[in-house]
Amino acid sequence: MRAHSRIIATALGLACAGAALLAQEAGGPRTVNAPPKPTGTTPRTADGHPDFTGVWNGLGDNLNGVPNQLANNGIVIESATAARDLHSGQAVTVFPRNTTRPLNNEQAERAASLLRRSGSNRPIYKPEYWDMVKYNDHNANEEDPSNNCMPAGVPRGAIPSYIAQYPNYVFFVYPGQGGLIATQTMYRMIPTDGRKHTPLQELDGTYTGESIAHWDGDTLVVDSWGFNSNTWFDQIGGYMHGENMHVVERFTRNGNTLTWTATIEDPDYLLEPWTTTPRVALLRPNAMLPESQPCSERDLAHIVTKEHH
Amino acid sequence: MRARTAVVSMLALVGALAVPSVSAQAPDRARVLRASADALGMVRWSDIGGANTRLPGIDIINTMELVGSGTSDVNGRLVKTDYHVALGYNPAAMRVEMTRTPDGGAAQHTIQTVRETYAWDESQMGAGLVPGKGTATPMNAAAQERLLQLWTLPYGVVKGAYFAGEKTAVSTEGGATVLTFPLSGPLAGVTVKATLDARNFVTKVETRPDNAARAALATETDYSDYADRGEVPTDIKTPGHIVRKQGGRTVLDIQVKTWETNDPYLVFPVPPNVKSAATR
Repeated sequence: MRAHSRIIATALGLACAGAALLAQEAGGPRTVNAPPKPTGTTPRTADGHPDFTGVWNGLGDNLNGVPNQLANNGIVIESATAARDLHSGQAVTVFPRNTTRPLNNEQAERAASLLRRSGSNRPIYKPEYWDMVKYNDHNANEEDPSNNCMPAGVPRGAIPSYIAQYPNYVFFVYPGQGGLIATQTMYRMIPTDGRKHTPLQELDGTYTGESIAHWDGDTLVVDSWGFNSNTWFDQIGGYMHGENMHVVERFTRNGNTLTWTATIEDPDYLLEPWTTTPRVALLRPNAMLPESQPCSERDLAHIVTKEHH
Repeated sequence: MRARTAVVSMLALVGALAVPSVSAQAPDRARVLRASADALGMVRWSDIGGANTRLPGIDIINTMELVGSGTSDVNGRLVKTDYHVALGYNPAAMRVEMTRTPDGGAAQHTIQTVRETYAWDESQMGAGLVPGKGTATPMNAAAQERLLQLWTLPYGVVKGAYFAGEKTAVSTEGGATVLTFPLSGPLAGVTVKATLDARNFVTKVETRPDNAARAALATETDYSDYADRGEVPTDIKTPGHIVRKQGGRTVLDIQVKTWETNDPYLVFPVPPNVKSAATR
């Protein structure tokens, strides 16, 4: 999405911290995009639960570049000769990089668009919505509801950049992005005190819905409903939903990694519940959240093709 | 039901274990397959946002959708045909929608779908998935013939040749490069012979079954006029003209209008009654 120069510059800017961290930890350029292996112990709070407090990748994991987005969408490159689709288990043929023919910006962006979409884990909509989903993705430059500085919403926000954990609630922060995938800063204050949901019919739909959380062993389970219909499930795919969407997110900490999945039910749109591909973020112990960039849509009027992120 | 699921899972597992990387192929085979994959635009990597990342390339072809028109065989006669195909390789699936209008006759609309070992006809797109929304008629005996259309497309040929590994032979016939390899899974026993042109595009695909009882799997398909036909440009090259023959007789002659290659949202859930029919 957006003019190519801005895409490259913004993506690089947003991603360099997380990608560089991973590269440094591996001692050189990453040649795989498999989830990072956990190290260290899992700290616990006074009540015995895992402590999720901290900065997780510093930036929303959605924006950490094509290698991570590829993993987010289910294609894991495990070595220079092996890759597979996590959802189906099907092998994906791996090819050496053609180093005699470096990619220009346009080639890199087209490749990125395809790489992000080639995974098999797709929500199954009712047949009457198949063409609409395809249309949304095809025309995402105009149709993506987050492109005009709106909140990404749930579950698109995925792993928050910052989590603060208190005895009776957790606090999630998702810094807004001013450039590529221009979204508004989003936060969620989620009780863990055992309260129940407000009846759905009494809620006005919002971008993040009404969330309550409980512990399932060491997993933090965040249960949300009461959404508006102004968001998509993810950055890609055109996956719209209705106001009866119900999302259950599961957060698990293992050492310095945080794993997130979401299961989405929407009886109005989906044939069956859909579970996202697990995403893994790394803790960044000394990191601070950056200032949110001002969000101002400037590129849409200049787009001349249907190419997009 | 369980047995069928187990078979499909096993095939997927075999595929997962058996797909060799390019570097594991014999030099000629690796070079020819890579050249063909590059010509078709199947190989991609991107470093956007990966400051210190250098991932290898991967095959990014999964779902595609093409629309065209021409003629197809109806009871031995070629009739005007509108042709619409949705397909995917993960999972292996294809939905062929045709509206055929004989001279002076009424239009006939068909939707023939296959996913792995399941095949069915749909009275409307997605029939049989929601109660009261169309009829899905099990046609599981037709699964092989329908899958063959998927695996004889240029992308299916390159993928299939990779899957076959050392069983894929490279030769030269009349100056043209030829790939010969066996298919596997539900199409085991079928041999594919694919001819490449000087630009490494797949121009002819012939299939031969291992016995006369599977004569319907003896096909010959010609592809020509390659270009990027997607409304969203992808640099993936697709044929503009498809001619398929069975038993030496032309059964399909289609000029392609659009061919979307940006992995569009195309899904192929199997209706419950089709699954049930497969277990009986």
